[in-house]
Amino acid sequence: MAGSKKGFIKFVVKRVVTVYIIVMVAVYLTIIIANMGGYVDEIMKGQLMLQIRMQLKGNPEYSTLPPAELEKIAQGIYEEELKRRGLDQPFFIRSFVYMKDALTLDLGRALYMTSEGGSRLVKLIILERLPYTVMLFTTAMLINFTLHLVIGLYLSRRHGSKIDKLFIALAPTSIIPGWFYGIFLILIFAAYLRVLPYGGILDVPPPTDPIARTLNILEHMVLPLSSWIIAAFFLGCYGRRTFFLIFSTEDYVEAAKAKGVPSRRLTTQYILRPTLPPIITGFALSLIGSWSGAIITETVFNWPGLGLIAYQAIGAFDTPVILGFTVIYAYLLAATVVILDILYGLVDPRIKVMYGR
Amino acid sequence: MEQSLLDVRNLHLYYATRKGVVKAVDDISLSLKRGETVAVVGESGCGKTSTARAIIRLLPRNVHLYRGSIILDGKNIMELDDERFRKDVRWKKISMVFQGAMNSLNPILKAGYQVAEPLMIHENMSKVEALKRAGEALRMVGIHESFIDRYPFELSGGMKQRVVIAMALITRPQIIILDEPTSALDVITQANIMNLLKKLKNELELSYIFITHDIALSSELADKVAVMYAGEIVEMADAETFYVKPSHPYAEKLMASVPTLRTDKQLDFIPGAPPSLIYPPPGCRFHPRCPYAFDKCMKERPTAVDLGSGHYVKCWLYA
Repeated sequence: MAGSKKGFIKFVVKRVVTVYIIVMVAVYLTIIIANMGGYVDEIMKGQLMLQIRMQLKGNPEYSTLPPAELEKIAQGIYEEELKRRGLDQPFFIRSFVYMKDALTLDLGRALYMTSEGGSRLVKLIILERLPYTVMLFTTAMLINFTLHLVIGLYLSRRHGSKIDKLFIALAPTSIIPGWFYGIFLILIFAAYLRVLPYGGILDVPPPTDPIARTLNILEHMVLPLSSWIIAAFFLGCYGRRTFFLIFSTEDYVEAAKAKGVPSRRLTTQYILRPTLPPIITGFALSLIGSWSGAIITETVFNWPGLGLIAYQAIGAFDTPVILGFTVIYAYLLAATVVILDILYGLVDPRIKVMYGR
Repeated sequence: MEQSLLDVRNLHLYYATRKGVVKAVDDISLSLKRGETVAVVGESGCGKTSTARAIIRLLPRNVHLYRGSIILDGKNIMELDDERFRKDVRWKKISMVFQGAMNSLNPILKAGYQVAEPLMIHENMSKVEALKRAGEALRMVGIHESFIDRYPFELSGGMKQRVVIAMALITRPQIIILDEPTSALDVITQANIMNLLKKLKNELELSYIFITHDIALSSELADKVAVMYAGEIVEMADAETFYVKPSHPYAEKLMASVPTLRTDKQLDFIPGAPPSLIYPPPGCRFHPRCPYAFDKCMKERPTAVDLGSGHYVKCWLYA
C-alpha cells in the first residue's frame, strides 16, 4: 500500500504542474487577446497624449507660450508619464509582467470601471459582484442538478410510461433560453399580477431589518430562479433519464436483479455508483459555470452580477478587469480539475489503480 | 418415477414490439430432475435466452404475454408476486450464469463482495461472515481466496467466469441456469470451465439448465437435450439417444454442421435463417428450411410425438 500512496502523491503533483502550465498558457493568451496584441497600448498612448495637450491648453499659465514650446513641454510630460506607467517598454516584455501580476493575483486597477463604492481596484470590482452571482446562479444550478438527477432516475425506471413520454415530448421547450422565459415571467407576475418585483436585488429603499432584508432578496430571486429552472427542466430530466437508462441495461444490473438485489440497492449500488464519475464531472463543471453569471439574464432582471460586469469590461477594453476575470476563472477551473481527478479515484477503483503506475 | 424438481408447462413469453408480437417462447414444456442437466440447444434468436429469463422472471418492459406454469419443488412459482419471487426464488432456488460473464460483474464493487452479496440479501448474513463464505466459494471454483479483494477489471476473462459461477453457487441453489457460459472464452478456458461445471455438478448434486448454441459442447454436460427452434421445443430426448441419432430434421442438420478434426467431412449447413418470431411460418415452423418437407408440413402444426422413454419429437415424419 505504501507504494500506491507514493504513486498517488506523484500523480497529484504531476497533475498540479500540468494544470498550472495550462493556466499560464490560457492567461497569456488572454493577455494577448485582451490587449489586442498590444494595440490597446497604442490607444492608451494616444489618449494620454490627448489628455496632456488638453490640460496644457486649459492651463492659463502656458497660454502665452508659442506652440512649439508647448509641444516640447507636452512631449516631456508624455515621456515621463510613459515611463511611470511602464509603457516605454515594448509590449512583448510587458506582457510577461502582466502575466506575473495576473498569476500572483495582483490584479491592479481598472482603466475605466469602478466598483459601486467608487474604487478602481479590480479585486474589489469582482469581489463585490461575486456573491450576487453565486447567490442566484449557483442556487439555480444546485436546484437544477438535484431535480434532474432525482426525476431522471425516476423516469429511467419507468421508461415508456405516460409521464416519461410527456417529458420526452416537452424536452424541446429547453431550446428557449432562461431569460426568454424570464421576460414572460416578468410580464405575468410583475406587470400583470403585481405580486413579484420586476428585477433588481432589493427594494428601493431597502428594508433595514435583517430578516426583512433577507426575505426581500429572496423575493427578488424567485423570478430569475424560476426562469432558469423552467428552461432547463424537461431537457435536463430527459438527459439524465437517458443516461441512467443506458447504464441500467448493463449486464451487471440484470445479473444483480436476478440475484435478488432489492430495488433500492440496485439503484444506488448498481446504477448510481458506477455512473458517479461523469455525474460528478457534470456537477463540478456546471458549478464553475454558474460562477461566471449570465449576461442576458442579469440584464433582463437587472441583477448586479458578474456577467454584466464582464460584458461591460469587454466592451470598454478594460483589460485589467477582463484579465482579472480570466485568471480567477482559470484558477477555479484548474483547482476543480485537480480535485475531480482525486475524487474519481475515491469513487471509481478503476481510476485509483492508475495512480500506482 | 422420480419426482421432478422443476416442471415447466406450457410456458409462453411474447414481447410487444412496433412491428407486432414476438412469440419468443411459444408453449414450451420441460422438466428437470435433481442432479440432472438439460441442455437447450438451437440457433441464435430461437428463444433460448428468453426461456431462461422467463424461468427466472427477468422480463423486459414490453411483455405482451407471460403465461404457463413453473412448478418448483411442487409449488407453482408463477403465482408468486414479484417481491416474494425475488425473496424466495431468485438465487435461493434458482441462480443464473449470464451470457458474457465479463459484463455480469459490477465494475466498481470488489469481486468478493459481489459473490457474498446474495448471502447478505437472502440470509441476512453479516458482511464479514458472507465474505468468508465467498472466499470458500472462490476456492471451490479454483480461485485463491485472496481474490475477494480484487476488482473485476483486475481479473482475466476465465477468472471472471469462475467468479460468476462462484456467485451462482454461494446460496446453494438447486438449479443453475447457464446461459452460454463459455461463449466469450477461448477454447482452452472453455474446456477448463466445462470441467469445473462438471465437477461442481457431481459434488453438489446441482441441476443445470445449460443453454448453448454449440451442440458439441452441450454433449459435455447434458443428461437430456431440448432442441429449440422458432420459440418451440422441437425435440426432447435423453442424451444417449439424442447424440447417437437425433430425430428431428433440424436437430439432424445441427449435428451435421458440427466440425470434426482432421476428417474430410463436408460441413453441412441449414439454408436460410431462423424465421421471424412475429409471423412464424404456418404449419411446421421448420418446413421452409426442411429437406423432407411435404404437403402436410406446410398446413398443419405438428404436435409432440412420443417415441418412448421420454423422447418427444414435433415432426410429421414420425406421426
